[in-house]
Amino acid sequence: MVGLSVGEKNFIKHGIAQDLRNDGRKRLTYRPIYVETGVIPQANGSARVKLGATDVIASVKAELGRPSVSHPDQGKVSIYVECSPTAEPSFEGRGGEELSAELSTALELCLLGGKSGAGAGIDPSSLSIKEGKVCWDLYVDCLVISSDGNLLDALGAAIKAALSNTGIPRVQVREAASSDEQADVDVSDEEFLQFDTNGVPVIVTLTKAGRHYIVDATSEEESLMSSAVSISVNRQGIICGLTKRGGAGLDPSVILDMISVAKHVSEQLINKLDSEIEAAERANEEEP
Amino acid sequence: MAGKTGSMPATYSPSPATRKKKRISIANGADWVRPDNRSFYQCRPAYLRTSAVSTAAGSAYAEFGNTKVIVSVFGPRESKKAMMYSDTGRLNCNVSYTTFSTSARGQGSDNKELSSMLHKALEGAIVLESFPKTTVDVFALVLESGGSDLPVIISCASLALADAGILLYDLVASVSVSCLGKNLVIDPVSEEESYQDGSLMITCMPSRNEVTQLTVTGEWSTPKIHEAMELCLGACSKLGEVMRSCLKDVVTDSKE
Amino acid sequence: MAAANGSSDLSSEMEVDAFRRLFPLRYHEQHLLKSVRPDARKLGSARDTTLALGAVASADGSALAKIGSTTMLAAIKLEVMTPTVECPDEGSIAIEFHMPPICSPLVRPGRPAEAASVISKQLSDTILNSGMIDLKELCLVGGKAAWMAYLDIYCLDADGALFDAALLSAVAAFSHLNIPVVSLNEDGRIVLVSEDKVGLKLEKEPVNTEKRKLKLNSPPFSLTCILHKNYILADPTAEEESIMETVVAVVLDSSYQLVSLYKPGGPVLAHTSVIQDCVALARRRVKELQNVLNEAISDMEVD
Repeated sequence: MVGLSVGEKNFIKHGIAQDLRNDGRKRLTYRPIYVETGVIPQANGSARVKLGATDVIASVKAELGRPSVSHPDQGKVSIYVECSPTAEPSFEGRGGEELSAELSTALELCLLGGKSGAGAGIDPSSLSIKEGKVCWDLYVDCLVISSDGNLLDALGAAIKAALSNTGIPRVQVREAASSDEQADVDVSDEEFLQFDTNGVPVIVTLTKAGRHYIVDATSEEESLMSSAVSISVNRQGIICGLTKRGGAGLDPSVILDMISVAKHVSEQLINKLDSEIEAAERANEEEP
Repeated sequence: MAGKTGSMPATYSPSPATRKKKRISIANGADWVRPDNRSFYQCRPAYLRTSAVSTAAGSAYAEFGNTKVIVSVFGPRESKKAMMYSDTGRLNCNVSYTTFSTSARGQGSDNKELSSMLHKALEGAIVLESFPKTTVDVFALVLESGGSDLPVIISCASLALADAGILLYDLVASVSVSCLGKNLVIDPVSEEESYQDGSLMITCMPSRNEVTQLTVTGEWSTPKIHEAMELCLGACSKLGEVMRSCLKDVVTDSKE
Repeated sequence: MAAANGSSDLSSEMEVDAFRRLFPLRYHEQHLLKSVRPDARKLGSARDTTLALGAVASADGSALAKIGSTTMLAAIKLEVMTPTVECPDEGSIAIEFHMPPICSPLVRPGRPAEAASVISKQLSDTILNSGMIDLKELCLVGGKAAWMAYLDIYCLDADGALFDAALLSAVAAFSHLNIPVVSLNEDGRIVLVSEDKVGLKLEKEPVNTEKRKLKLNSPPFSLTCILHKNYILADPTAEEESIMETVVAVVLDSSYQLVSLYKPGGPVLAHTSVIQDCVALARRRVKELQNVLNEAISDMEVD
């Protein structure tokens, strides 16, 4: 947490009230986004996203697994976030655990959709290989390298970019002899399938400071927040998840207003992010 | 006396011989009935009682259909030495399940995710300034999980806090709705939760009309969120009244 | 409460509650002199005991026992196992006692209470050695499949005499246990036969149409006593247990035979006559508990 004096806090607050923030942005403008894909060669897909001074890495690892009994026709996706001590000294040891857990839960809530799979960024049934026997398990690991506010949005963007970068090997199922045994599979190391990441939502966090709310808050701005609402919206403008942070209560009408603002902001963010991802992928291909 | 200690043999719970096809035609939905025959917008009957645990500073028991929860509140007690000085009080939440709470035998371990959700839902309602340098413990045990566990835990915990005499801005009531196809159903049971398309949970302080916690998963259009929120808020204010009268009853009983 | 009168110089000037907190031992001893306890019980009498069967719908058998404020919830879940080679026609019972953080300010999350594992061991020794349950009754298909009964007992409110309450709830849960009808399918796995199909003709005959209830042979009951000087206090509360440390737990079966006697040290050394007195108290208590159990069972049958 950033320690700010009362005067500094007031300065930021008044700036926000006049729609001019410390770094010259308006209330609903994001900091420039920088995307780099394929940063971890041994993962199936990876990406690094910088949002101002906030810097995160996401990697996707696919492993063969057994589907759960309740959803035999679906694969499993799990998201895990780690906060590196390089981001903040207080993350050392067990210090980052609480924040890590909170971010992991929020990301799973925002990106993985409902129990039946509706609203999920990644269609879990597309991960199925043979019903009830084999499926892909996706492990999404994120690392916070540097933290300057708005971690959730940055992590969401990094996961989206990492998924567009992910190639899943094509798998052939050999007819298994017994019904009970693990199915025999052939994993191709040449052919890779790409995910359709069009449906992956982006996360927009609106931070409430005073009577106004702002997007993409820096950690200075976050230190005077009373509450924040993170809303994940996909390209169709459908809300895929929502969580609230911060203890202070909000009026229900304010939340509804925030949702409509988030929908509006998300359009620009998705377009911006998509073009950045595309540019990053192109840069990757050009490099030998 | 074989096999009682040492190496535990592997066991499994017998599954039904004929697996019922779930999610029967909910999508078209017209004549679909809920597993417990409630109407879509009807909550389960709630039974609430305070002072369920004699050794705790405050406690409450809540029973919503098959969901049964006990919450004990201890403290305020001195914060751990390792913690930094704080001029506001701290809240420590823990949620655990019994091994027999779900249909398959579980491990009964602590649930970190629910614990942090409970913490976030409650902290906005507690006057933390009223107990500086100290910690209040809120421990919940789910005796039986019958769906909508978290909302029941939260409501029950706020009742336990009130019973413990911790200063609150308002009671906290929590209700969730599930989205099944085109339908919204309030206060879902486990079976409905297992095949829901989306869920929305609101935690609010009814008399202040403030939302302390809101989570949404699954696919939602804006009008649907409006509808679900209104439904939840209506149910919350009713639940708030039930909780209030539960507390009042205790006071009038003890006066007599 | 007429605790603070004359006999102590301080006590006459102090409020009862303050005296109780500052001089707990003197406070209790003054009661004992008058053969009464702070909660108005006689030394040898136990607290009101209630029992409710079938408290947990998701379990195969369950019971809620209350002795005074001490509350125990026991539930049994049945799972299928392959019996061991040594005893191919016997099932098994796994007993665990839990003290979740809600039950007492002394238990904190992540740190299991010491008492819990001690009581856990005592319970499984008592239940398995008393011969209350014939493990052969848990057999389904000789050598192939047998029931594993997981008995979990949760302490919901810890106000003394935990073992007595836990044992009572465990015995009650076993008497409430309904064994589901199952059959063997082609893969050699046990599957449930749904209730509405029991009467119908099935391609697979259920393997256990008969054994739906366990027969309990002379179930054991226990009484915990506290020894202090030459007083014997039956069924102590948590406060009494914390002040006076010597405990004797007597377990008798329904025909008053001694199943186990447990005296884990303590500063008071007991004469044989004292132990005999404890056993006599336990005998009286077993009668009471048998009535409580029988009433609970008949209440259940009426419903």
